[in-house]
Amino acid sequence: MVNSNGKKSMLKVILNPSRLLGTLAVISLSAGSALAQAPEIALGAVVPSSGPFAEWGRSNSVTLKMLEKQTNDAGGINGAKLKITILDDGAKPAQAASSLRKLAGDEKVLAVAGPLTSSAAEVTFPVANEMKVVATSQASSKPGVAKLNRPWAFRNTIDEGMLAKTTVPYFKKAFNIKSVGIIFDAKDATAATVGKAIMPAALKANEIAIVNESDPLSFNTGDLDVSAQVTKLKSLNPDGVVVSADYSQAITVLREMKRQGLIKPVVGATQLISSAILKAAPEIPIIAPATFFATMKGEAAEKFVTNLQPLLRKESGLPAEIEPSMYDANIYEIVSMYIDAIKKSGVTGKPADVEADRAKIRDHLAKLEGFQGLGGPIGFNDDGDAIKAFYVLQGQNGAWDTKVRGCSSAPNHAGC
Amino acid sequence: MLWQQLVNGLTLGAIYTLLALSFSIVMGILGILNLAIAELFMIGGYFGFTLIAANFPLPVAVLGGMAGAAIAAMVIERIGYQPLRGTPVVTPMLSTLGFSIILQNVATNFWGSDPLQLPDEYLGRQYTLGPVNIGQMQLIVVGATIVLVTLIAYTVQRTTVGRALRAVAENREVSRLLGVSADRLTLFAFALSGALAGVAGVLIALHYGAITPYLGVEIGLKAVAVMVIGGTTNIWGALLAGPLIGVVEVLTVAYGGSQVRDFVVYGFMILILLLRPQGLLGGARSDQGQRV
Repeated sequence: MVNSNGKKSMLKVILNPSRLLGTLAVISLSAGSALAQAPEIALGAVVPSSGPFAEWGRSNSVTLKMLEKQTNDAGGINGAKLKITILDDGAKPAQAASSLRKLAGDEKVLAVAGPLTSSAAEVTFPVANEMKVVATSQASSKPGVAKLNRPWAFRNTIDEGMLAKTTVPYFKKAFNIKSVGIIFDAKDATAATVGKAIMPAALKANEIAIVNESDPLSFNTGDLDVSAQVTKLKSLNPDGVVVSADYSQAITVLREMKRQGLIKPVVGATQLISSAILKAAPEIPIIAPATFFATMKGEAAEKFVTNLQPLLRKESGLPAEIEPSMYDANIYEIVSMYIDAIKKSGVTGKPADVEADRAKIRDHLAKLEGFQGLGGPIGFNDDGDAIKAFYVLQGQNGAWDTKVRGCSSAPNHAGC
Repeated sequence: MLWQQLVNGLTLGAIYTLLALSFSIVMGILGILNLAIAELFMIGGYFGFTLIAANFPLPVAVLGGMAGAAIAAMVIERIGYQPLRGTPVVTPMLSTLGFSIILQNVATNFWGSDPLQLPDEYLGRQYTLGPVNIGQMQLIVVGATIVLVTLIAYTVQRTTVGRALRAVAENREVSRLLGVSADRLTLFAFALSGALAGVAGVLIALHYGAITPYLGVEIGLKAVAVMVIGGTTNIWGALLAGPLIGVVEVLTVAYGGSQVRDFVVYGFMILILLLRPQGLLGGARSDQGQRV
């Protein structure tokens, strides 16, 4: 009887489109309100939405909002709604540290993605240790920054020293390089370390002479005139040039090289990877390592680009032709790893459990192996840096091409 | 390499000269440093860059950059200076500092933080004279600077407007009693200073073929050093000190190392302040009231 009545009423609903729509709406609203009323899982992010790296920070924000929506549309995390609070640090170390303090202290987030730069990470990671909250940088690659701030600091990046060991031999072989000149941004922590220590060591190991070894050429972040430095480089007639700077500053150097007719292959660190740099001097080949690039092959990477790119291009304040960057991929992976940790390690998200929850996320990340990132499996080494696949890319005539695939493997940890 | 570095230094110095003159005009009339000038330079550059990118000819881009920066300067005068005229000197200076931050934010939000780049064809032709390579834009930058400094000098020293400006600079109240509209002239000084900063911005954007929202700060500070070294009481001081600082900076990078560049430039400024506070071409102490 009950069955028969139930079948009849179900039939009525199916045969009546307006009732069917109404029923579906009620079901969907009740599901939505159930998620809305469910406990929240609070995560935080510190990105530079203003200042010299605003493009990266703004696209990071769009990426995080997309991931937040994807997660909540799929039912949240163990039934709880994901809320990501994003704060702008303007790429200023002090502002990054105070943002993390606010996220951990006032917003009670379980973990933080960011900050972006090594300069900011150097100041912010000690605060993460003090507040006992995981912070994972999406871009810092200056050697040892996470290592100095264990156990709460992580980086979803690879140490530039490790990347240079693969990048420089390819550069040497591809362009028959016997000598190089080095120019670097003295005010950028990663660029200065790469220019003064990492690249000279890698070049010497590969028996490449540095024509200005005793006379380093540098400039300051924000300089538009590098004519004197490029004239000097040109007079030394190297086979290639090391440009250690973030891509927006490197563009200035490449434009000046082109203007002065110094058309020589360029090698650098992950900071060079961008679409914009390919337009600066298309005829100058650029060699740099990356863990992700927008035209990368693979199901996860291609799906990520397909979903994110239209959102980035709709966002005001971002270039109309923008593509997802390596740092968008990194921050997407960071929060995905946090979600994975919350799902698998018994995180409750209750205010009373915040300290225990943070420790569970930290322990999960420290032991993480084989997490499926956009470019393959990801884990962390004992220094808190990512073990993941990387690629040596060659940029020329407007496109990046993969030349070498490598892995930042570490002893006693799973590889890529 | 030396000759090439001298050409680099003279080009850079020409930009410093225009910007120093821009600072000097407001400083001369009002005795305050308009700290927004560095960003008016950047905004002017963006206006010109946008017009060039939209295929307008160079003269239109230069006029557009000048007009855009001049209008922004007039807004600053009306909102950031005029209502604060009776307050201590530091108050309107802080107000212009606020405007500079706003202008940088506007540029970042409107044009983005990535450098905008002009297509290769705008880099212009290169001429080779022995060991020296000179770009067409370098010649335009240096030529335009000489013409503009001469025009400003003529305007200030030989025209009725210039005489009125000097009268206001000498004594605002007395000039008003003599029928000079000090308020209107102050607005004109801001506009003129903005237009000069704007043209400098367009020229530098075209010379390097790229522009970022952050280019104003470094160059602006150097221009202040040029103004101090040249002397705020003499227009020709900027024409002497600009290329001097440009060449010193470039030669320091080439022969002394990039890391000591700012030490040398600002050290030179401090030395001049200690030995000759009125600047290289500044008048005697009795002339110091007359700054334009």
